[in-house]
Amino acid sequence: MRRARRMLAPLIGGLGSAGLSVAGIAAFVAVWALASAALNPVLLPPPAAVVKAYGELIADGSLAKDVGASLMRVFGGFALAALVAPPLALLLGYFWTLRCIVLPLITLLRPIPPIAWIPLAILWFGLGDPPSYFITALAAFFPIFLSAFAGAQGLRPEHVNAARSLGARTDALLLFIMLPSALPLILTGLRIGLGQAWMAVVTAELIAAQSGLGFMIQASRLNLETSRVLVGMTLIGILGAGMTALLSLVERRLIVPWNYTK
Amino acid sequence: MFASSKRLQSTGEITPFAGPPSRERLTVVQRGSSLELDHVSVVFRRAGEDVTAVRDVSLTVAPGEFVALLGPSGCGKSTLLNVLAGFRRPDMGAVRLNGKPHLGPTPLCGVIFQKYALFPWMTVLGNVAFGPRRLRIANPKAVARDMLDMVGLSSVANAWPSTLSGGMQQRVAIARALATRPSALMMDEPFGALDAQTRGLMQAELLKIWMQLRPTLVFVTHDIDEAIFLADRVVVMRTLPGAIGAEFEIALPRPRDPAVMETAQFLNYRRAIAGIIRSEALKVFCP
Repeated sequence: MRRARRMLAPLIGGLGSAGLSVAGIAAFVAVWALASAALNPVLLPPPAAVVKAYGELIADGSLAKDVGASLMRVFGGFALAALVAPPLALLLGYFWTLRCIVLPLITLLRPIPPIAWIPLAILWFGLGDPPSYFITALAAFFPIFLSAFAGAQGLRPEHVNAARSLGARTDALLLFIMLPSALPLILTGLRIGLGQAWMAVVTAELIAAQSGLGFMIQASRLNLETSRVLVGMTLIGILGAGMTALLSLVERRLIVPWNYTK
Repeated sequence: MFASSKRLQSTGEITPFAGPPSRERLTVVQRGSSLELDHVSVVFRRAGEDVTAVRDVSLTVAPGEFVALLGPSGCGKSTLLNVLAGFRRPDMGAVRLNGKPHLGPTPLCGVIFQKYALFPWMTVLGNVAFGPRRLRIANPKAVARDMLDMVGLSSVANAWPSTLSGGMQQRVAIARALATRPSALMMDEPFGALDAQTRGLMQAELLKIWMQLRPTLVFVTHDIDEAIFLADRVVVMRTLPGAIGAEFEIALPRPRDPAVMETAQFLNYRRAIAGIIRSEALKVFCP
């Protein structure tokens, strides 16, 4: 009996963890349903109304358009940050003078939240897509940069010495030693940066755009269509979690396999 | 009892030395170069204070010679090796490689570290081929395969270094250092992290490779038996500050077999060197 329980334990554990996760979400929805029954539907619509709103927005095609617009802005800004931040971090990690010049500047700019840049972004780029790209790039830049810089600082001196005594010059050192050595942390930075960009795009669209999930939430609020606001909110949560999960899967399986062989 | 039998089993993974499969590529390895330390001193700044790690050391290593730098920890032997490898410039004095000033790390002077320092993001073959690629040697992968054959590890060419045992990783590091055909090889306590049985096998293998390629070899160790068994000349370091205390020419015949460690000649060397080491270690232990 005891042995049978021990043999089943991993199976029950795996099922149990998934089951508990589902139970947690179900309990949340149940509390939501109960609370909404007691409240004005404009303040808190019931889950069924939100599901219905999903159906309407999918049917008329507007949801797909808004999601597409938001994703475009996130990936555009994120791609820009992902192209600039890691090389900059590695160069700063390697060249002492450059580090002394640029690092204080980054330290001063970092505490300014992306939302505080929105007025300036609108003044510079007008309304529409460009300020949103600027805001998402900015939001993704700092976590990617800081993580990549930590990766560059974690370079082991004996790896540098070994590479030098094998004939590596500065370019080979940056490309074949510093970059792969920092890669695990760069990827962590990318994962966090993508999440930050996703949060920032909604903020930017609330104010500065005429499309996207943030704009949809804002427009629905003005029409008192709270169930559509909740469609936007829940979808932001689902898509954000999905993107992070996808990136960590790519990270483990494809890009840093040497960290996961055991 | 149980522990020792387990250890013996673990040494089974060391495959016997196989010999070079393609001589023509290996004979391209340059013959040893000479190394010279000329009144070298190295000073570290520690907490605002200058600490002399090595004071006024002069040492000449002949082409193809096997020299062991022996001393207790804190005698500056690793510092001297870093100076010889070009990782650190001496604060006074000069370093010469083949009579010319030795100003920085160079592929002429290969280095093997205590902690292997393999690149974990490259496969075993990628690690060994790294040097040949940097030097634009033709067909770097073939060179790397030859080197892996020489250390008996061609079967793990595509493995990640982190999946190998310590002894295997150090053999990969030896193959990697030799793949650039260095005329001198610096080894910094290379077998210090290995268990006693594996260390013995590695010593025998190192001697075979050295006899075959004859690079100039400087070997840092704190193990007296290892130094005598391997080297042509044992340089015993003094401590506080690091300096050369005594030198012993080891006249044991080559090729050497571990059985040589039982001979009276070996034990005489051992007794003489151990006396010096003990008094030097005491100086560091209770200064």
